[in-house]
Amino acid sequence: MKKELKLKVNGQPYDIFVKPKTLLVEALRDHLALTGTKRGCNSSSCGACTIMLNGMAVKSCSILALQANGAEIVTIEGLAKGTELSPLQKAFLDHGSYQCGFCTAGMLMATTALLTENPKPTKQEIKEGIDGNICRCTGYNSIIRAVTAVVKGEYKEAK
Amino acid sequence: MIKDFEHFAPKTLKEALTLLDKYQDEAKIICGGQSLLILMRQGLVAPEYLIDIKGISELSYIKSDGKGGLKIGALTTHRTIEKSSQMRDGFAVLAEMETRLASIQTRNWGTIGGNLCHGDPAGDPAPVLIALNATLKMASLKGERSLPVEDFTLDYFETALKTGELLTEITVPAPPAHTGTAYTKFNIIESDLATVGVAASITLGAGDSCQDIRIALGAAAATPMRAKKAEAVLKGKKISDALLAQAGETASTEADPISDMQASEEYRRELVKVLVPRISKEAMARAKKA
Amino acid sequence: MSEYSVIGKRVHRVDGPEKVTGSAKYTFDLVLPGMLYGKVLRSPHPHAKILKIDTRKAKRLVGVKAVVTGKDTLGHKQGIWRRFPELCDEEILCREKVRYIGDPVAAVAAIDEDTAEEALDLIDVEYEPLPAVFDPLEAIKEDAPQVHDGIELNININRHIEWGDVDEAFKKCDHIREDQFKCSSQAHVCMETHDAVVSYDYGGKMTVWTSTQSSYYIQRLMADMTGLREGDIRVIKPPTGGGFGSKFELDSAQFCAAILSMKLCKPVKIVLSREEEFTATKRRTPMYYFLKLGAKKDGTLLAKEARVITEGGAYTAMGATALYLTGFFSSFPYKYPNYRYDGYRVYTNTAVTSAMRGFGAPQSTFVGESQLDMMAEDLGIDPIEIRRKNGMTPNYEVPGQAFIQSCGLHQCLDKIEEHVKERGKLPPNHGIGVSAYGFMSGGIFNWFDTPYAFSAAVVRINIDGKVDLFTGACDIGQGSDTTLSMICAEELGVKLEDIRIHAADTGICPPDLGAWGSRETLMNGNAVKRAAAECKRQLLEFAAAKMAPNIAYDFDIKDRWVHLVDRPERGVSYFDIVKEAIRGKDGNAIMGRGHYTPHRKGMISPAYSFGVQAAEVAVDTETGRYKLVNVTTAHESGTVINPVGIEGQLEGAIMMAGGYGFCEDQPMDEGKILNPSIADYKLIRSLDMPETDILEIDTYEPEGPFGAKEAGEGLTNPTAGAIGNAVYKAVGVRINDLPITPEKVLKALKEKEKKKK
Ligand code: FES
Ligand code: FES
Repeated sequence: MKKELKLKVNGQPYDIFVKPKTLLVEALRDHLALTGTKRGCNSSSCGACTIMLNGMAVKSCSILALQANGAEIVTIEGLAKGTELSPLQKAFLDHGSYQCGFCTAGMLMATTALLTENPKPTKQEIKEGIDGNICRCTGYNSIIRAVTAVVKGEYKEAK
Repeated sequence: MIKDFEHFAPKTLKEALTLLDKYQDEAKIICGGQSLLILMRQGLVAPEYLIDIKGISELSYIKSDGKGGLKIGALTTHRTIEKSSQMRDGFAVLAEMETRLASIQTRNWGTIGGNLCHGDPAGDPAPVLIALNATLKMASLKGERSLPVEDFTLDYFETALKTGELLTEITVPAPPAHTGTAYTKFNIIESDLATVGVAASITLGAGDSCQDIRIALGAAAATPMRAKKAEAVLKGKKISDALLAQAGETASTEADPISDMQASEEYRRELVKVLVPRISKEAMARAKKA
Repeated sequence: MSEYSVIGKRVHRVDGPEKVTGSAKYTFDLVLPGMLYGKVLRSPHPHAKILKIDTRKAKRLVGVKAVVTGKDTLGHKQGIWRRFPELCDEEILCREKVRYIGDPVAAVAAIDEDTAEEALDLIDVEYEPLPAVFDPLEAIKEDAPQVHDGIELNININRHIEWGDVDEAFKKCDHIREDQFKCSSQAHVCMETHDAVVSYDYGGKMTVWTSTQSSYYIQRLMADMTGLREGDIRVIKPPTGGGFGSKFELDSAQFCAAILSMKLCKPVKIVLSREEEFTATKRRTPMYYFLKLGAKKDGTLLAKEARVITEGGAYTAMGATALYLTGFFSSFPYKYPNYRYDGYRVYTNTAVTSAMRGFGAPQSTFVGESQLDMMAEDLGIDPIEIRRKNGMTPNYEVPGQAFIQSCGLHQCLDKIEEHVKERGKLPPNHGIGVSAYGFMSGGIFNWFDTPYAFSAAVVRINIDGKVDLFTGACDIGQGSDTTLSMICAEELGVKLEDIRIHAADTGICPPDLGAWGSRETLMNGNAVKRAAAECKRQLLEFAAAKMAPNIAYDFDIKDRWVHLVDRPERGVSYFDIVKEAIRGKDGNAIMGRGHYTPHRKGMISPAYSFGVQAAEVAVDTETGRYKLVNVTTAHESGTVINPVGIEGQLEGAIMMAGGYGFCEDQPMDEGKILNPSIADYKLIRSLDMPETDILEIDTYEPEGPFGAKEAGEGLTNPTAGAIGNAVYKAVGVRINDLPITPEKVLKALKEKEKKKK
């Protein structure tokens, strides 16, 4: 009944077996113990489960794990290079762009995907980039400020 | 809890149709799954077999129909359409519509075909495609058939797809000269589903008279619908504010909306009344530039 | 006052690196060896007798390890008001009767979540549905169904506040207004739903990891409900994904996991689904508000009378406090010489209403600030002017209730007045509405009646100079770990990175009532400051002995430099002194204890913060849709300890309170919440979020640590009122029931038009 699932997550290849109904978020959290990715609604509405799949932001609660077979995935655990944080992670720290932190993985993945696709987004585009993500704590504006600072080149990419 | 199922991931249309033919009603199609998985989680849908067509690359494309129109593969993602350089001129409205459809994450994974097959009267693509006079192509092992988008949805979450059939392609014909199309939706939260959506396509004739018009409404009835009576008010006439207001009035009576948490029936009618003239004006302005 | 080295600086939160890398482990993420997964079966009926529960089939399902019902409990009822047994009315696992849709009746532990969920379907519960009542105005009628037996008119509790002679004063008023309002419910929508991992071992000890605002309360309530000794229960709060008032009572995840774990001596984890979170956890209290306000021609407010009936839902929860506070804050932030409040909390067969950020004050502020604008208009007085005329000032006593020391309300009014002027003439259908508020810095209510301090802290300095700070304070995202570490570092004269905080673990931390009522900064901050001061005193003793100056100089520590206050260049390194001091104590670490319990500080809180907010809206008069354009807040919270934290609290409050005014609601049908998902429950997202500006006002609160007071909850109070007033300014219609939806605005616009004709 279980099926084979091959994934590359944060550069690491995995080969696991999952039930067909397993959601991608479950495969990541429960099978691979990558618990940085969160789940806030399980219905595609909150964005806490956002990851990057083949370079684009998707909600991992609304994709079957098997649909990601062969895909390259980046999760929050894959943003830092070694112990050096990514520019967005640093900017989030400086701007206090998180409080409880439960939306933070999703926010960082959504904004990382945004900047991958469009390194110079306008403020409106930044807002659109995180509109699929609920944050009940910060009111979003500090997140927008952090992304803006990165767009302005205030943070250097880790080597 | 999602009930477990057997999962197939065909790589070609042929394979998918063969599976569909084999499992008939016991099978469900999943593509982006942005709506289906929610229904499955609620236990509203519990298929024995899930045919996952997301990987059929032959159904993901945007190309010209050779006559100035577009052919869009059913598996094209919302985001691909939104970003496509082909969505210009008369088709720009499609990209505009997509930008306001849910979130980027959902648009990255969800497909236009999946959206149409979900049959939600509040979906954004249908009214726009109806205004653009688009048709849908469906395939089964027995062959292919086509249907105008406006005839595709039969009732709430019910479409004209027959057992064994798959939606494969959307054809958007080239708009006639001097045609403008526009879409708007009303909602309280910007990226939300439409409380009411309105699309209008206007072709201007001599002396800026309304030579042809198509008005489509979303979330205003059990299915996306054409407001034909409202169209009749404007068709062949020189458009004035008074006529537009009358068209709005007419559309709001021919609409058949429900009352729910988002809005009462009366309010939805009121919104149709206001939005039909507004969006028709916008379509007209575009027609003048086209 | 000397320059601070740590407080007031823009620092990274102490939990920052963990949170931005996804390595913070929430309760949601915990997995223990041998752990089982639990699920809760809930009532589908708003009101019913439980005739029989048959769990045999469920128990036989492969993978199911235990099924429990109310029969497996001691039958105790939980409640935070332990001195009033009649207010402890929630069994959590119901034995005889269910009182709302979502009331728990059974729980299952199984090898995985799916099996547990499957087992729920196999539990047979036979109910006898009873007539139910949903609206408090119906529930107080003679012949209404009884939610709890023997409670007259379903009145759970009433509260009365009065000073002056209200009736006499109304006689002297030139103008009196009477208005009615309706305040809606609101869901907390913490991003982490309620969850718990409970491990009960063969030795009879229980460990609870849970997403909570008060590990202290959970420990004690769990002891009440399970019969275990408090000391045998250790409650640990891992990083917590939001609270907002929803997480300081014992909940079904914690209790059911505990009962199951006690049966099995195995760890059990329960995570509530988002739907359970919406339907079966607590929510903001809906209120019917009747207000009477009397003024002199010149705008002097002489008397106010508030009558409130609240929808209590099925149980008491923290509702009694919400009822009291809404009454108290109805007088805020003005100096009413005569004031009367009567509030009734009524039981209904609906999900329980309780504490939520602002705790009754967002409701009273919405209604009060709306009515005050109406009064100002009636009298032809500018809205800011009427607030200035009556606003509270420093050292004001709310008769018989509270004493207000610091108060920057008038400076806030000045700033907002400037802001409104600067905006100049607005585009058509734009309007700016103003709303003023005040809030408490920690409640002076010890619901439990335990002899513990309200807040306590222990500071321990180790040989390397690293400081361990132990506190029961709960960081639920608001940033108390950072704020308290900053206070500790400042007081001790070391750097922030010298502090390592250990918080909210009842096994190692001294008690703290937890994160509610905006108490952590002031109350726990004082405790931490005192504990740190005690350590510093010990260090300075050694320093004085070592340096032996020939005159009795005062010593201090700053930036890790132990020095003479009058000759700062003369000193020694903090690290050296620590080493010597510890050696001098035979190797014992330097330890300091501190606590804070308010004495003689009135009935509500030791301090209050104030602010004024201006919201600008742009209304589409054809659809009633309006946009929140800008929200500017002038506020004062005493000395700012953590400026980044305050910005975050303020902007976050606008998302939540703006939502309360604009779109958040929980419509019901026969007790069933109709929108139990984030798709259907509308929340402000980034595209809907207004621009936010902050105008900081300097004040100093003598009661607070370094002069600080609250800056978290109060900010949720003004926004709904400001929006209501702004819509009125923009298009001249007044909406008295929340939320102010476009549909309501359009309807009011049409009625206004009709009247004109
Ligand atoms: S958990 Fe995936 S969007 Fe909320
Ligand atoms: S930081 Fe708590 S939800 Fe965003």
